[in-house]
Amino acid sequence: MEVFGIWVAAFLTLCIYSFLYRDNPLYRFAEHLFVGISVGYGIVLSIHEGFIPLAWNPIWASLTGESLAGLWKLIPIAFGLLFFARLSPRHTWLIRYPIAILIGFGAGIAIPNMLRANIFEQTRGTVAPFGAIYAGTLTPWEIFGAILMVVGVVCTLTYFYFSVEHRGPVKWLSKIGICFLMIGFGSAFGNTVMGRVTLLIQRVDFLLIDWLGSIGALF
Amino acid sequence: MKRLVPLVLCFIFGIVMIITQFSPHPYSKRVYEEVVSGALIISPFALVLATITLIQTHATRIRRRADHWPYSYIVFAGLITMVIIGVPLGPKDPVFEWLYNNVQVPMDATMFSLLAFFIASAAYRAFRARTTEATLLLVTALIVMLGNVPVGDLIWNTIMSWTPWADQASAAREWVLDNPNLSARRGIILGVSLGVISQSVRIILGIERSYLGGGD
Repeated sequence: MEVFGIWVAAFLTLCIYSFLYRDNPLYRFAEHLFVGISVGYGIVLSIHEGFIPLAWNPIWASLTGESLAGLWKLIPIAFGLLFFARLSPRHTWLIRYPIAILIGFGAGIAIPNMLRANIFEQTRGTVAPFGAIYAGTLTPWEIFGAILMVVGVVCTLTYFYFSVEHRGPVKWLSKIGICFLMIGFGSAFGNTVMGRVTLLIQRVDFLLIDWLGSIGALF
Repeated sequence: MKRLVPLVLCFIFGIVMIITQFSPHPYSKRVYEEVVSGALIISPFALVLATITLIQTHATRIRRRADHWPYSYIVFAGLITMVIIGVPLGPKDPVFEWLYNNVQVPMDATMFSLLAFFIASAAYRAFRARTTEATLLLVTALIVMLGNVPVGDLIWNTIMSWTPWADQASAAREWVLDNPNLSARRGIILGVSLGVISQSVRIILGIERSYLGGGD
């Protein structure tokens, strides 16, 4: 079964790489299979790791008399079922109820988390080294880095600040911000390239070692 | 009824989530956990609806004999196979795990690795150093890539052997990532977060209503 699995994986890998030549039936086969398998996997996970432990098990415990608290879970289930109102043109508007709940939930959870993790922590991380500068524990190179950090953050924010016209000093701050942004995008690009090349090496390694090795094991 | 009730629900859930996160009271924590659990129960229904829409789309393609319509059967085959095995037997079932490890994971990795080739051609277009900004992009990406791999050290040492920065490829990469790159990212994160917060406030207060769609 293991060797069969290697052959299936190798066949699908080669099907997808065949796209490098041009769009062809083998690639389309793999592409559509990937969509179906991924959606199926998502459904199975959301049922077994979401719906069953969070809703089905508490309700079952209520039905068997263990704990009546599980009956509360019928309320979110009822709201969830309203998603299927989308399938009836006359009742489509009912889908707004679960969407409104999820949107409100997401907006409410985002505000404190964004404030805490992205505003306060990032600002603290930007200005914290200045405490170390005051304490005299940083080298001149590290002090340069701390100053560069503040300059970069201020200039990048200035570039995205559209409430004033970008003229005079604001224009120059904005131009410096673009330079920092380009360095950020270059880093992101370099890391993405390395990540994709690592995946490519891993797939080629699989084909050369595992798949071709399995051919040798057959004889 | 059709618009007011969703707006009220959105307001209540938004305010409850904000208050419960700021209050350390045990009752507040209990409410928070119940609402999170409720949202996690509602979400899979959206996934099922999305799947129904996918099935409708491919069924329509088959019915209309659209371009490449036979491949829609492959989508159904993959979807049905995973659901028939995974829903009754669970994700720990050996057959389900076999399908995941030998079909989904290899295809997932191969699809993403395919981007390596396209990214190379995109890099050629993006990295022509015609302006200061493009040059910065090029130099930064090169430093990050060279600092990531052993052969990068070799290339760096050959080029930089006459400078004080010889044998410093990894250090240069780390410095770029930890200083100018991080400052740009912090600027973006701060800007995006302020945008998310203002948009969330607008949604909770009912000023932003686009999620309700059109109609009555």
